[in-house]
Amino acid sequence: MSCSTQLDKEQSAASTPERQAGVLVARRHHLLVRCSHWLNVPILLGLILSGVSIYWASPVYRHKPDPRTGNFDPLGDVGIWICAHVPGLHQYGSPPDWVYNHISVGPGLLAPALRLHWLCAYLFMLNGLVFVIGLTIGGGWRSLLPRRADVREALQMFRYYLGLPLAKLRRRTRLHPRFNTKYNALQRVAYFSVPVAGLLSVFTGWAIHKPMQLHWLTAIFGGYDKARIWHFWLMWVFVLFVVPHVILVLADGWDTLRSMIVGWSTRAERPEDFSQ
Amino acid sequence: MSLEDHSAPEEENTSSTESVSPRKPANFFQERPPQVVEVAPQLLRHWTRRDVLLFGMGAIATVVGGGSLLPQTTLERLGIIQGNKNWPKKEWLLNRTLRIDDDVAEALYSTNRLVPTYTKSQITPLKNNYNGATPDPSYIPEWRLTLDGLASGLSVSLDIRNLLASFQVHEQITRLVCVEGWSAIAWWAGLRFDDLLRAYPPMSQSKWARLESSVNRGRWGNPDPYFVSLDLSTARHPQTLLATHLNGKPLTVEHGAPLRLLVPVKLGLKNIKAITRITYTKDEPADYWAKRGYSRYDGI
Repeated sequence: MSCSTQLDKEQSAASTPERQAGVLVARRHHLLVRCSHWLNVPILLGLILSGVSIYWASPVYRHKPDPRTGNFDPLGDVGIWICAHVPGLHQYGSPPDWVYNHISVGPGLLAPALRLHWLCAYLFMLNGLVFVIGLTIGGGWRSLLPRRADVREALQMFRYYLGLPLAKLRRRTRLHPRFNTKYNALQRVAYFSVPVAGLLSVFTGWAIHKPMQLHWLTAIFGGYDKARIWHFWLMWVFVLFVVPHVILVLADGWDTLRSMIVGWSTRAERPEDFSQ
Repeated sequence: MSLEDHSAPEEENTSSTESVSPRKPANFFQERPPQVVEVAPQLLRHWTRRDVLLFGMGAIATVVGGGSLLPQTTLERLGIIQGNKNWPKKEWLLNRTLRIDDDVAEALYSTNRLVPTYTKSQITPLKNNYNGATPDPSYIPEWRLTLDGLASGLSVSLDIRNLLASFQVHEQITRLVCVEGWSAIAWWAGLRFDDLLRAYPPMSQSKWARLESSVNRGRWGNPDPYFVSLDLSTARHPQTLLATHLNGKPLTVEHGAPLRLLVPVKLGLKNIKAITRITYTKDEPADYWAKRGYSRYDGI
C-alpha cells in the first residue's frame, strides 16, 4: 500500500529476462485480520492476568473455610497442594497465593488489576472491530461460516489428530483428510466459536460491570452472580483454544505460521484446480 | 499486505500475475476460491524478510510497552525492577482509561432508570466488609448530621428524630454490588436523599456532595477517616436513600447506625456508613478509594 511504488520498482527489477520460475502464492489473511490476531495475544494475556487478580478479591467458587488455614478458595487449595508436593517449594512464603502469583498480576492488587482490565477490555473491543472490518474487506468471513457437514468432518479431523501421535510412534503414515476449503471443518468450528466467545466475554463483562444501568443484559445471563460465572468460564474457552491452536500451528509448519504474519501461503494450486 | 499491490490485472508483464477466478460462486455466503498469484522467489523472500522483521519489532515493542503497564508490585515480584518508585509516567494511560470508563458510566446513568428490585424471599446475607475498627456505639446518642454548603449559607445540624419525623420513609429491596465482585440483596428503609436536597437546597452551582463518616478508625484504632464524593445527579435518583433500617430493624453499628448512604447505582464503597457531615461543593471533592487507585465515579 504505502510502499507500493518501492515494490513496483523491485518488481520490475525482478522481472528481468533471467528471472527464476515464479512461485504460486495464495492470499490467506487480510492485513487487519493479521493485526487483530496478533494484538489479541497481549490483550488477552493482560485480560487474563488482571482478571484472575480481580477473581482473587472475591472468588466465585468457594468452600467452607479450612479450620487450619482459614482458606475458602479452591485456587488457594491448589497452591497449598503444589507447595506441599512440589520439591523446592516447601519454603514458599504464602502457599494460598501460589496460583495467583503465577497466573495473575498477583493477590491484593485489585485497584491496579481493575485499571489494567479496563484498558485491555476497551482495547479488546476495538480490536474485535478491527477483526470484523478485516474479515469484511478481505472477504475472509465466508471461510469461517459453519456448514452443514461440519460436525461430521470436524469429528473426522478430531479422530485424525487423536490417532496421529500413535501413527508417528509406529512410523506409519496417516493420511490427512483432504479439503478444498481454506480451513478444515475442525478449524472452522474453532475459528467461528472463538470470536463468538469473544463477543460473549464482552457482553458478560458489561453485564458485570454495569449490572444496574444494563440490568437487562445482566438478566440475559441469569443475573449478576451467574454472569460472573459465565465470564469466568469464557476465559477458559480462550485458554483451552490457545493450547491446541499453538501446538497445531507449530506442527503444521512454517508456512502456516508465516501466513499469519505475511498474509499469504505458498500452499497454492492454480485456480483451475480449485473446485468447491 | 503486499498482495493488494499486485492485484491489478494490467501488471501482466511483471513477476506477479493474478488469475481470475474461473467459477462464479453459487451464492453470497459461499466461500470463494483463494486468489493465487505467481511471484518471483526473490521478491517473496524480500516480502517475508520485511514482514517478519516488522512483526518482530512490533512484538518487542509490545513486550516492553505492555510489560511496563503491569502493576509496580508485580514487576518487583518478578525481579524486573527493584523498588524503583520513580517509574516513568506509565500510570497516565491507565488513569486515562479509568476516566474514560467513568465517562461511559456517567453517560449510561439516568436519574429516571430504576434499578431492579427483589422480593423478601430473595434477600441474602450482607457482610460488614470494613477492615477497620467498628466504632464504639457511644457515638450514637450524640450523633448529628451536619449539612454544609447550603443555599441559605447556614450550617444545619439534624438529629435522627428530626430526620425520621420530617421525611417520608421509603423502602426498597435492592442489590448492593461490591467492587470486589460479591453482592448482596437487602431490604432497606430510609429517607430519599432527593427529599433532603429539596428541604435543604444546596448552594447554586453545586454539583457534588462530600460525605464524611463516624467510621474513621483503622484496624489498630489509628485515625483513618472515611469520606466519599457523590455527584448530585446520583443523589437525586429516587432509589438513593439515606437509610436508617436494614431488613426491618434499625441499622446496627456494623452497618452504619444511625444513618448511612444507600446508593444502588454505585459500587458498595460509595455507600458510606454512619454519615456525620454532608458538604455540597461546586468542584469534585476527594474520595477515599479514588485516592487509592479506584475509579472516582463508580457508577454501575
